[in-house]
Amino acid sequence: MNNENEFTGADILLKALKDQEVDTIFGYPGGAVLPIYDAIFGQNFLKHVLVRQEAGAVHAAEGYARSSGKVGVLLVTSGPGVTNVVTGLTDALMDSIPIVCISGQVPSHLIGTDAFQECDTTGITRPCTKHNYLVKDVSKLSETIHEAFKIASSGRPGPVLIDIPKDVQFAKSKYISKKDISFREHRIKAGSKNVDKNFVKELLSHIKKSERPIFYVGGGCLNSGHQASQELIKLVNKTNIPITTTLHGLGCFPGEDKSSLGMLGMHGNYEANLAMNKCDLMINVGARFDDRVTGRLDAFSPDSIKFHIDIDQSSINKNVKVNFHTNTDITLTLKEINSFIDSNNIDFGDKDYSNWWGQINEWRKKECLHYEQGDEVIKPQHAISRLYELTKQKDTFVTTEVGQHQMWAAQYYKFSKPNRWITSGGLGTMGFGMPAAVGAQMANPDSLVIDIAGEASFLMNIQEIATAVQYKLPIKIFILNNEYMGMVRQWQELLHGSRYSESYVDALPDFKKLAESFNAVGVRAKNIAELDDTINEMISIDRPVIADIWVDKKENCFPMIPSGAAHHEMLLSKYDKENPENQEKGKVLV
Amino acid sequence: MSSTSVYPTPINAFKQSKRSVLSVIVDNEPGILARIVGLFSGRGYNIEALNVTVVDVKKNLSRITIETLGEEKVISQIIAQLEKLVPVHSATNLANLSESYEAEICLVKIEFENEEQDQKILNFADIYRSRTVQKRQNIVVYEISGTSERINKFLDDLDTIGGIKVELVRSGPIGLGI
Repeated sequence: MNNENEFTGADILLKALKDQEVDTIFGYPGGAVLPIYDAIFGQNFLKHVLVRQEAGAVHAAEGYARSSGKVGVLLVTSGPGVTNVVTGLTDALMDSIPIVCISGQVPSHLIGTDAFQECDTTGITRPCTKHNYLVKDVSKLSETIHEAFKIASSGRPGPVLIDIPKDVQFAKSKYISKKDISFREHRIKAGSKNVDKNFVKELLSHIKKSERPIFYVGGGCLNSGHQASQELIKLVNKTNIPITTTLHGLGCFPGEDKSSLGMLGMHGNYEANLAMNKCDLMINVGARFDDRVTGRLDAFSPDSIKFHIDIDQSSINKNVKVNFHTNTDITLTLKEINSFIDSNNIDFGDKDYSNWWGQINEWRKKECLHYEQGDEVIKPQHAISRLYELTKQKDTFVTTEVGQHQMWAAQYYKFSKPNRWITSGGLGTMGFGMPAAVGAQMANPDSLVIDIAGEASFLMNIQEIATAVQYKLPIKIFILNNEYMGMVRQWQELLHGSRYSESYVDALPDFKKLAESFNAVGVRAKNIAELDDTINEMISIDRPVIADIWVDKKENCFPMIPSGAAHHEMLLSKYDKENPENQEKGKVLV
Repeated sequence: MSSTSVYPTPINAFKQSKRSVLSVIVDNEPGILARIVGLFSGRGYNIEALNVTVVDVKKNLSRITIETLGEEKVISQIIAQLEKLVPVHSATNLANLSESYEAEICLVKIEFENEEQDQKILNFADIYRSRTVQKRQNIVVYEISGTSERINKFLDDLDTIGGIKVELVRSGPIGLGI
């Protein structure tokens, strides 16, 4: 019986992970995954990071994936182990992050009996994964794992879950290596590899005709790889067309470049939103016309011809109807556009869009990101600006939680490279940033990893500070502490008559002492005089640091397109008043 | 009584909700039907009728036929979403094909009370060329097939006969493009 070519399900899993060049796995043990943990005990290629709650494992895997471009992997037990990762899987699905989640399941013969720690894992995770599997036969395990990695990373990336009953982890079979698997094309959905030449020609002829073109770039550009961003930079430099990016597109194009209008959308730059509203040609590169970007749809960029490059066919014409589209990969398409320009000697020299740039520069004069920093209380915007100035020379990765601090980070921290900015956009998951920083630091041990946080979000996954301490991950948690769920308070102020229902965060811990109790380091800045020193001290310490930055409690995040308003109806400051009709309509939106 | 408008009120003048029949070829694997049904309910689409059967045992393929309602934009979005599901080979809107055929099968059990009703039923059954499956005493079972519309009309006609009891089952439409 003891066939040398046969391995247990647990060993097959480890062999497959090795084959997939996985070097790090985030996880938490439990009854239904003990055979896998036993296999992990006896090997040394795979580093297991023990999180403190499974939600931490999934966000860490997301942070790992986003910062490295590789697939993030996590391992959790059945029942509560799995239900704890549902938020993270949904987050990864919304933001197209490639992760593979391995979950244990009760033994096959107990499935359906309401056994201890049993839940319908594939049922619960079906709508929040790109695909999922319940492996009932150990002989199918190798193939399933390899297909899972392929699906997670192909086309529009996303999370894939593999549920493995405990008896399958013990059962034996042959191992089939990655190179011996032939994938079935219809299941992988990698997108077309053939560039649509007509699309390229149409686009270039429209660029030549247009007076007011704009690039609108999203996270798809990031997922297409670093080369996509190189090709984009080339194209923007050749054409002198202004470019705005979504929250996830930040870093695909250097934020300090003169052609960059910065982020667009609800808290985007005035010039970016106005340019979107008034443009006559919109070139969407891997963005999905999200409601946070478009504002009121019937007033969205009314006069433009729209081109859309997106590998996901379902993103085309979903929210906004476009005139031309292609589903081919962004890198391939941009490359073709650039080489078409070169080989046909298309000269944009006479086409410098000077009127358009003149108009944009007028909008820029509004200085929509202006704020008044006094000489005592720290303005949150200023805290981010100083953080940027004091860290921009370093090799830095920034993660965030969700809320006002996230938007200020997007506005005031400038990114020059892709994959340096790791945030929860689509789902807006509070508690994302710190575990994501753990993952990013695992993938980039020598880099500076900062979680820009709010005190409320940070408390949602506070337990992971222990993970950072255990693995000596010197992540920095930069808390803009205003004692409020700031974004909730801001909406209550704007839409609900300043009735701050349950948005004050009472009974906050002393973050300095909290850090010390975890054997991390706590630092604090109470006023403007202490800010730079505190930031410098935080950076200089080679251990996990919690920096408690006391900021103006009542500061709001501007500019802002209120829900239900259009791009040109932005509020620039608290002195701008919203159109009351929009306000009533916006109230019912998110 | 409410007065009649001097101008007709357009109903859904801009949003034309159309009936569409979608034909989806999938790998026959556990959970595939749940994936498709979940996609419809999760995204707020309607399923008017649904039919699933293995069509190729060797290749392990099933064909799922879904009747749904929605404006054209919604139908295109449904198809794009269906085609993203891993086990889905293809999703086709039969209405977009140059030539396609559609059929539905319906079994109708009718209980009648008198000769006159029986004659009327027989008459309709004859017009619609429906097959008698069984007839005993005052109960008759017919099988009728064709497009859903044809079956609807047959049932509407039966409705005009007073006093009979009708029980029925319908397969939902299936269709094939050429």
